Amino acid sequence: MSPVLPLLLACAQVGDSGLARPVPEVVPAAPALRRLTEAQYHSAIRDLLGPDLVLPSRLEPDVQVEGLLSVGASVAMVSPWGVERYEQAALDLVEQALESPDNRVVMLSCEPSELDDPCLERALDEFGLRAWRRRLTEAELDRILGLVEGITLDSGELDIGLLYGLGALLQSPHFLYRSEHGLDPAGAALTDYELATRLSFLLWNAIPDQELLLAAEAGELSTDEGLEVQALRMLEDERAGQGLRNLLTELYTLYELDDLDKDPLVFTHASAELGPAAREETLLVAEQLLLDEDGDYRRLISQNRSFVDPRLAALYGIPAPDPEGFGQVWLDPDQGRRGLLGQASVLAQFSHATSSSATLRGKFIRSVLLCHEIPAPPGDVDTTIPEADSTSPTLRDRIAVHMENPSCSGCHLLTDPMGLALENFDGVGRWRDSENGATIDASGELDGETWQTPWELPEVLAEHPDLGPCFSENVYRYAVGHSLQSGEEELGEWLAVEFEIADYSYRSLVLETVMSPGFRNVGAYE
Amino acid sequence: MSSRRGFLTGALRTGGLVCVGLPWLELFAPRSAQACDGLFPQRFILWFWGNGNRPENWTPSQDGFDVELSGELAPLAAHRAKLAVVSGFATKVANSIPHWSGACGLFTGRPEVGGEDDWTVAGPSLDQVIAAEIGGETIYRSVEVGVTTTEAFSYNGPNSQNPAEADPYALYERLFGETFREPGEGGLVDPSLGYRRSALDAVMEDLASLESRLGSADQRRLEQHLDGVRELETRLARLEEDPPEYEACARPSEPLAEYPDVDGRPQIAEKNAAMAKMVAMALACDQTRVVSYALSAALNNELWPEASDGHHNLTHHESGDQPEVDAIATYNMEQLAVLLAELDAVDEGEGSLLDNSLLLATSEVSEGRTHSLEDIPLLLAGGLCGRIVTGQHVRSYTAENINKPLLSVIRAFGISQGSWGAEDTLVSDGLSEIEG
Repeated sequence: MSPVLPLLLACAQVGDSGLARPVPEVVPAAPALRRLTEAQYHSAIRDLLGPDLVLPSRLEPDVQVEGLLSVGASVAMVSPWGVERYEQAALDLVEQALESPDNRVVMLSCEPSELDDPCLERALDEFGLRAWRRRLTEAELDRILGLVEGITLDSGELDIGLLYGLGALLQSPHFLYRSEHGLDPAGAALTDYELATRLSFLLWNAIPDQELLLAAEAGELSTDEGLEVQALRMLEDERAGQGLRNLLTELYTLYELDDLDKDPLVFTHASAELGPAAREETLLVAEQLLLDEDGDYRRLISQNRSFVDPRLAALYGIPAPDPEGFGQVWLDPDQGRRGLLGQASVLAQFSHATSSSATLRGKFIRSVLLCHEIPAPPGDVDTTIPEADSTSPTLRDRIAVHMENPSCSGCHLLTDPMGLALENFDGVGRWRDSENGATIDASGELDGETWQTPWELPEVLAEHPDLGPCFSENVYRYAVGHSLQSGEEELGEWLAVEFEIADYSYRSLVLETVMSPGFRNVGAYE
Repeated sequence: MSSRRGFLTGALRTGGLVCVGLPWLELFAPRSAQACDGLFPQRFILWFWGNGNRPENWTPSQDGFDVELSGELAPLAAHRAKLAVVSGFATKVANSIPHWSGACGLFTGRPEVGGEDDWTVAGPSLDQVIAAEIGGETIYRSVEVGVTTTEAFSYNGPNSQNPAEADPYALYERLFGETFREPGEGGLVDPSLGYRRSALDAVMEDLASLESRLGSADQRRLEQHLDGVRELETRLARLEEDPPEYEACARPSEPLAEYPDVDGRPQIAEKNAAMAKMVAMALACDQTRVVSYALSAALNNELWPEASDGHHNLTHHESGDQPEVDAIATYNMEQLAVLLAELDAVDEGEGSLLDNSLLLATSEVSEGRTHSLEDIPLLLAGGLCGRIVTGQHVRSYTAENINKPLLSVIRAFGISQGSWGAEDTLVSDGLSEIEG
C-alpha cells in the first residue's frame, strides 16, 4: 500500500484545493434488496460456522444481469425450490457445526448449559449480530429465544432447540438479503451497519468482522474519517484477496470455468481440471499485481509475467516452474502470449467445444474490458459459415462472409478483428502457427491502432482510453449492485479520472468508490 | 365448447381430481378417447429441448389422422395414436434476442421484458399457469428437472425462475428420499417436522415485517419468497398425513450417484432414462401433477453423442442439409419416447398414466440456423382423457399464432382462460381441431 494514498484522498475530499477535484453530487439510486450470491452465502457460512463444513452443493442459482451476478442479485428472487434448499442448507450446516467442537466454538460465543443459562441469550444475540450484520431487536431476539425454548422443552435437548433457532436465523431474509435502505424511506445515508455490510462484501466478499461491527455500532462509519480508517485497514488485510477474487470471478465470468465443454479428442489438453487451474492463474496474477504490488490495472492486460502449474505449463509449452503447484513465469515474444488475453481462462472460455471463436473473444474484449455495447445478432439471418477447405483454410477466410453481409458486419466488425488477432491460440489456448496448413494472420486494428501479432495486441489494448474507465465503472456497479443511473453518471466519470490520476491503482479505486456519495447513500423507493 | 366447459365444472370430483369420461366424448375425440374414470389426477408435463429441429425432416407429409411419423419423428411412431403433431404455427414475438425472445413468447405467450443483458419474462410460464389450477393439493406444486441443464424455463413471473434439478440422485433424494412413503405406509411420525414448521413461522414473521418497509419491486420479491415458505410449511404438514393411495405407486430404484461426462460428452441417454423413471413415478404417486422437463437448454452448446461440434454451433455452422443437426433432433425424440413409454407403462384404471396426462413437447426455435420462430415444433401427447385429440397431424398453412393451440392446452385443464398473450400475440380462440 502506497503511504501517499490517504493524503491524496484527503485532498480529494477537501475539494477546493488547487489539485483536488471536487466530488460531484449524486442522485442516489433507489434501494434494492440484494440477495446473497452463492459465493457470498458460502463465505458468510465459513465465517459464522467455521471452516471445513460440507457446504450445500446447490442453492438458488445466481442471476447475471448486465454482466454481473452482483447486479442480478438486486432483482433475483427465491423460488419455492430455493426456499427448500435454503432450509435444508441451514439445518444441515448448523447440525454439522453443533457436532464438531472446532465449529461449535466459532458458532457459539459461549456454551449454554441449560435454558436458564444467561449465556444462551448472549450466544443467540451475538450469532444474530454476525449473521444479520446488525443487532437483533428485542422482539426478534425474544422470538428466537422462544423458539429455542419451545423445542428444547418438547425434545428434552438444548441442542435440538439450538439447531432450529440458529437454523431459523440462517433462513431469515435478514441473513439471505442485504437490505440497504438507509435511515429514512425518503432516501438518505445508509445506516452504519448497512454500510459495514457493503464495505465488507466489496473489500472481502465476506460478512463484517468484529472490528467493523464495533465501528458500526459506535457510529464511526458515518464519518469520513471512520469509514476511511476501516477501508484502509481492510485493504491491508489478506482477506482483500478474497474480495478481488470474487470481483474478477464475476466480471470475467470465471465461474464458467467449472464446466468447460471441450471435446478431448480435438483438444488433448482439455480436462475437468483445466478450467479451475486457468481461473487460478488469472486470480493469482491479479492478486500479485493489484494488491501485493498496488500496480497499474492495465498491466493485467499487457504484462509478460504469469503463474502456471504443470498443467498450464504443458498447455502453454513452457517448463513448469514448480512440479506441484503454481509458480511464477516470465513469458517472452517467442511464446507469443502475455497478459489476460494470453491466459487459458479467457482463451478457452470464449471458444467453442471443438474450435476457437473470434466473435466470442472479440465480444469479451469489447463488452467486458472496454464496456462497448454490442447489439444482439439479428433474428432471422442465415449464420452458416463455410467449412474449411483449400480456398478458406483459416477462420479469417471463413468468416469473411460476416463482413460482406451488411446485417452481420455492423457488429462483427466490432468483435471479430480483435478475436482474429488471437487465432494463434486454439479453443483451449494452445499456441498454433497455422490452421489447416495455412499460416495464421493475426494482424488487425482497433479504433485506429494496428498490430501484427498476438504479442502486440495487449499493448494496443492497454493503451485504449476506455480500458480504465470501463474497469472503474464495473467496480462501482459491483459495489452498489446496479448499473450507473442518470444521477450517478458524473460520479462515474469522476471515478474514472481519479483512477487514471492514481496510476490505475485498484486499491485507490476501491477507496475512492467507498468514500463516494454513491456508495454511502441510497435514494427513495420508487 | 361452452357446454362442455359447463359440464367440466360439475364433473365427478374425487379428492379434488377432475376427469371426464363419457361415451359421447368419443364423438369429439374418435381416435384418442381413453378410459378416464375420474379416479386419477390430471397432469401436465412440459417437455423441452433446445435449438429446434430441421422442419423439412420433422413435419409429416400428410395432415389429418393416421399419418406416418418418419424422419425426426420416427422414434415416436410407436406412440402415434397418443400423439398430436401440431406444425406450421409461429411464435408471434419480435425476434430481438435470438433464442430467448422465442422462448419467452412460446412459454409466456408474450415478448420478453428488457434487453439482451437484463431480459426476463413478462409473466408466468405455461406450466405455472396450469400448476396454479391443478398443483395445489400435492406435495410439490410443480417439479422442474433437466437432463443436461438446470434451466427448464419455468417462471413464476418476472425474474422468478424455478431452477431445474439436473442431478438424478438429488432428484431421487428429493422425491423418494427419507420423507417418501408408499401407499399404505401411513403418515410420517417425526417431531422434527413440527420443529421445522416452527422455525419457518419465525422466518415468515421476518419476511412480513421486512416487506412492510420496502418499495413495490422488493415487496413482490419477498412475496414470492413468502409463497415458497408457505408451500414448504404446507408440504411438511402433508407429510404427516397418509400418502395418496394409488396402486401403481412404488418407490423407484435409485439412480447412480453420478453421471460423469464421458470423453467430454454428457451421458444424455443414461440420465434421461433415470429422470424419466423418477418423473413417471412422481406423477403416479401424486407427488406432483406438473412437471417441466428440459432435455437441454435453449441455446445450449452441449456435445451430443458423435457430434463434431456443440449443438448450437452445429445449427449455425453445419452446411447443406445439416445431417448432424438432424441426427440430434432425432436423438432428442428418442429421449422423449423413453419418457412416453414410462408414462404409458403405468396402469391407471382402464388406461395409463399417459392417458390421464397432457405432455407438451416443444423448442424455442424451429430452424436453428436462422433462429426461426416460424413452424415451431409442437407435440401434444396423452391427450388428458381425450380433451386434446391425439392421433393426428394438424398443420397451419398460414403461420397462425402458436398461442392458439397453447390456449387450447390451458383450457383443457378446465381453466377458464379467456385469452392468451398480449397485443400482437393475443388470441382468444383455441385451435378447434385439437380440442376434444
